[in-house]
Amino acid sequence: MADASTILAKPPLAATAPARRRPLALDRYFVTLTVLPTFVVMVAIFGLPLLFSLYLSFTGWSPNQALLGGAFVGFDNYADLFADPVFIGSIGITFGYTTAAVSAQLAAGLGIALLLNVDLPYMRAFRTALVVPMMITPIVGALCWKLLLDPSHGVVNYWLGQKIIWLGQPDTAMLAVWLVNVWQSTPYVALILLAGLRSLPSEPREAAAIDGASRWQMFLHITLPLLKPYLLVALLLRTIFEFRAFDNIYAMTGGGPANATMVLSMFTYLASFVRFDFALGAAASWMMLLMSMLICLFFIAVIRRRDAN
Amino acid sequence: MAIVVGSRRTRWLGRALVYAALSLLSLLFLFPLLWVLGLSFKTRMQTFADPPLFLWWPTIENYVDVFGRSDFGLAFLNTLIVSGSAVGLSLCVGVPAAYAFARFPFRGRSFLFFALLVMRMLPPIAVLVPMYVLFSKLGLTTTRFSVVLAYSTFSLPLVVWIMRGFFEDLPAELEESAWIDGANRFTAFRLIVLPLAKPGMVAASILCLQLAWNDFLFAAVLTNNASQTLPVKMMTFSAGDSGVDWGGVTASGMLVILPVIIFSFLAQRHLVAGLSSGAVKG
Repeated sequence: MADASTILAKPPLAATAPARRRPLALDRYFVTLTVLPTFVVMVAIFGLPLLFSLYLSFTGWSPNQALLGGAFVGFDNYADLFADPVFIGSIGITFGYTTAAVSAQLAAGLGIALLLNVDLPYMRAFRTALVVPMMITPIVGALCWKLLLDPSHGVVNYWLGQKIIWLGQPDTAMLAVWLVNVWQSTPYVALILLAGLRSLPSEPREAAAIDGASRWQMFLHITLPLLKPYLLVALLLRTIFEFRAFDNIYAMTGGGPANATMVLSMFTYLASFVRFDFALGAAASWMMLLMSMLICLFFIAVIRRRDAN
Repeated sequence: MAIVVGSRRTRWLGRALVYAALSLLSLLFLFPLLWVLGLSFKTRMQTFADPPLFLWWPTIENYVDVFGRSDFGLAFLNTLIVSGSAVGLSLCVGVPAAYAFARFPFRGRSFLFFALLVMRMLPPIAVLVPMYVLFSKLGLTTTRFSVVLAYSTFSLPLVVWIMRGFFEDLPAELEESAWIDGANRFTAFRLIVLPLAKPGMVAASILCLQLAWNDFLFAAVLTNNASQTLPVKMMTFSAGDSGVDWGGVTASGMLVILPVIIFSFLAQRHLVAGLSSGAVKG
């Protein structure tokens, strides 16, 4: 996105390098030869699969047919999807889950970043401790929580003195999955915001302090606005990553109970790899692709507008 | 911009509050792992004791049990091979391209870079569905190679992304003088640029390795008993015929995350840079 400006700032190197010696013929193909392998891999593992899944989504393909042997069925798969209350429900659940998870991560992450930004001894130790949930394998983290939340032997129920079946009831299952997600991804937001806080100029704050601004006023009117680009980046990245959430939900609830945690990734997974309806799975994954593209475009538009101002 | 806590009178109180809040948060964040670490050293009887035991004589029987299954070692090896190969492939393919992205304007550059971003951002399940069908018809499913290819969908964009930023920050004068001295582009890249790019390549590999090691979805779909990776193997302990095998889940879980934790601490300073790179720079 910064391409245009970088090109303008630095003239192409080929032009600045004096042509004292005739460059080797091979040099003319340097860019082609360096970029081609990446391009080929991208086409092979990304472009072709996506095109193929677009094709699949318009056929009635089943696993015992040849690769291109599925009969064309038009928009039937998409019609099936939108007639399926579970799929419609999963759209709502995905967006609700994403919103709830990302807003909690941003709020908690901002708090933690502000705390870690205080200049005191031993802050590195705290930072190290706080980022551990982000580093560990997500599925292991989720399983740890599953054991903690176990109805009869879990330590959470022991402390609460109750026998709550956390993952067996729609409301508490969603709450549990959300909680685990916030636990895992808040450090990510905190690290980005901490990097942001560290890079902010100190002059505006000093000027405000001289003018007698309270700490709360400084935070609200100076730190927060200056931090906005970092908040936006964290918001964008987390939204995209929560939209595709899978591991936690697979490990903890598998989409249940009664489809209460059926996010789009889980729906697509079940359709494709449990019911082996790859055509429907392809249609569902294309709907997911379109939605995440829309989310990306929306954020890019927001960032562009902010940059323009 | 580090905050120095206010006036002398309130400073002591402020510090105490910050430390208290951070200690509480750290405890909250670490507790689930510490508790499960404790569980992994408990016998079956101790695990199910009511009330839960906070002090006990630790046992390593769960670890002995997990290691006793030869396929756990195999899964460890598989994870190592698969994530290592994915990172290796992405570096070989992606680093030269990242250099071209950073230094030479060419037609389609913006588009290709945007496509890489899209590749990183889109839901993995959307690629996995057609990939599985294609691989199964090509006879590639259940091979480690299929997992390596699948992992490249996230490791290749990450490598190009991080390395492009890295190359942009390198001064161009060194290569330019090598060109003037008669080195061709390839020689200059190999002898001048690549050695300078080592720290960037280390950072990129660490991030990719972490992502590959932690992956569950791709490996769960694309592997069988012989090729399965650690996170997949570990899930089998929680989904046995007799319900959750607490000893197996806790001990294998701790073994799965041990390398990642060590690894991440060694590479901590690269983490933030990699996580937000590209996004902030635009």
